[in-house]
Amino acid sequence: VSYVFFPGCSLEGTARDFGISTEAVARALGLELPELPDWICCGATPAHQSDPLLATALPAKNLLAAGGKTVAVACAACYSRLKAANHEIAADPAVRKKVAQVVGADYDGQTPVRHLLEILVRDLGTARIAEGVVRPLAGLKVVCYYGCLLARPPEVTQFDDAENPTLMDQVMSAAGATVIDWPHKTECCGGSYSVTDVDIVLMLTRDVLSMARLAGADCIVTACPLCQINLDMRQRDVADKYGDFFDLPVFYFTQLLGLAMGLTPKALRLASLVVDPTALLAARGIVPGPAAPAAVALSGKAHT
Amino acid sequence: VAARADVRPHELVRLVQLGQRDAVLAARTIWECISCQTCITRCPQKVDIAAMNDALRRLSLAAGKVHPKTTVPVFNDIFLNTVRSRGRMFEMGLMTRYKLRTGKLLADIGKLPMMLRKGKLALLGPRVAGKAERKQMFQRARQAGGTNK
Repeated sequence: VSYVFFPGCSLEGTARDFGISTEAVARALGLELPELPDWICCGATPAHQSDPLLATALPAKNLLAAGGKTVAVACAACYSRLKAANHEIAADPAVRKKVAQVVGADYDGQTPVRHLLEILVRDLGTARIAEGVVRPLAGLKVVCYYGCLLARPPEVTQFDDAENPTLMDQVMSAAGATVIDWPHKTECCGGSYSVTDVDIVLMLTRDVLSMARLAGADCIVTACPLCQINLDMRQRDVADKYGDFFDLPVFYFTQLLGLAMGLTPKALRLASLVVDPTALLAARGIVPGPAAPAAVALSGKAHT
Repeated sequence: VAARADVRPHELVRLVQLGQRDAVLAARTIWECISCQTCITRCPQKVDIAAMNDALRRLSLAAGKVHPKTTVPVFNDIFLNTVRSRGRMFEMGLMTRYKLRTGKLLADIGKLPMMLRKGKLALLGPRVAGKAERKQMFQRARQAGGTNK
């Protein structure tokens, strides 16, 4: 399969670390993800709340530009909008006709759209991922958080089981992590309401964070820029409002997979995370801890 | 979110069936629905609450009945304007304009230095070619019955 990559706006802004770690992991796996030239915003939530036709036309314009190649997506929100456009255009000739008028060209709704997790598990396969793992995340207890938009509605996204998706769990298992089953995989974090009505986000993220801690997780793994920033950056606000600081690092799955593949914290932009994961990763022996530099120096001497 | 709603989802559906136009369009709950798609995924009758709320939002805007406490239409408006002119989102620009239009100048302002330090905010906005073409797209969507401003 040959792919074109649709990064989406967040991967150039608040989720730059997701974008950079995605590129780094793809390179390490030999997965070619050339960027779709001149891609435009998928319209996200504001488009489908304001103008359903525009909300379908914006993704259609991008999918048409892919020229029949498979569109690879990392952002769950872009993925959802591209899939929804395909679904609506393929299902209803009247929609297809209206969208053609808006875009200025006919689009049949048939450009394949794949999330990076689907590509890793279904196209590459977990065996190939496991082969690339040089530093297994042994002892790191993770919960995988999928949020809303990857798995719902299942008729539209056809991603995985809508109530119990496992694609990210499989990737994390291949990376050597201890994957904990938990009931909040597909709860909602509140998405863009972080700007317009933050109390909703604090209420919802607190539920997710509480359950992650109850489940015994060291950290949360995400596949969506909105999930990540809400769970990570709002932890301090949750503490201020509810008096409970969780101190749970919240990674993108590409960052943890990259660590397992031997990439450096810098190459994966771990410094962009708000809840600092360094102590946790050092305690599990995944990155060098405070005492480790001396050990490295000693072993270096032993070799010379 | 349904738990804190002024009108809960099943009540909203019933009000729509009963033709209680004003009560529905003035409800805050239609602006609090986060489109998580859980309703339609679990409903055996496939009642699409999120799509219903999208439609009710547009009717509420058109009728001038938007609940005074919500800022969602302002956010949506600025977001789509940014996409039309730049082609992609520009978070710094979006937040600045949102703050100016809503008067929420200080919300999250303390996070700004951290976000800049951690490389979470691009300082320069993106510019994708094809602005004239995008403007036409937005206009044609409006002409075909769309409701972008």
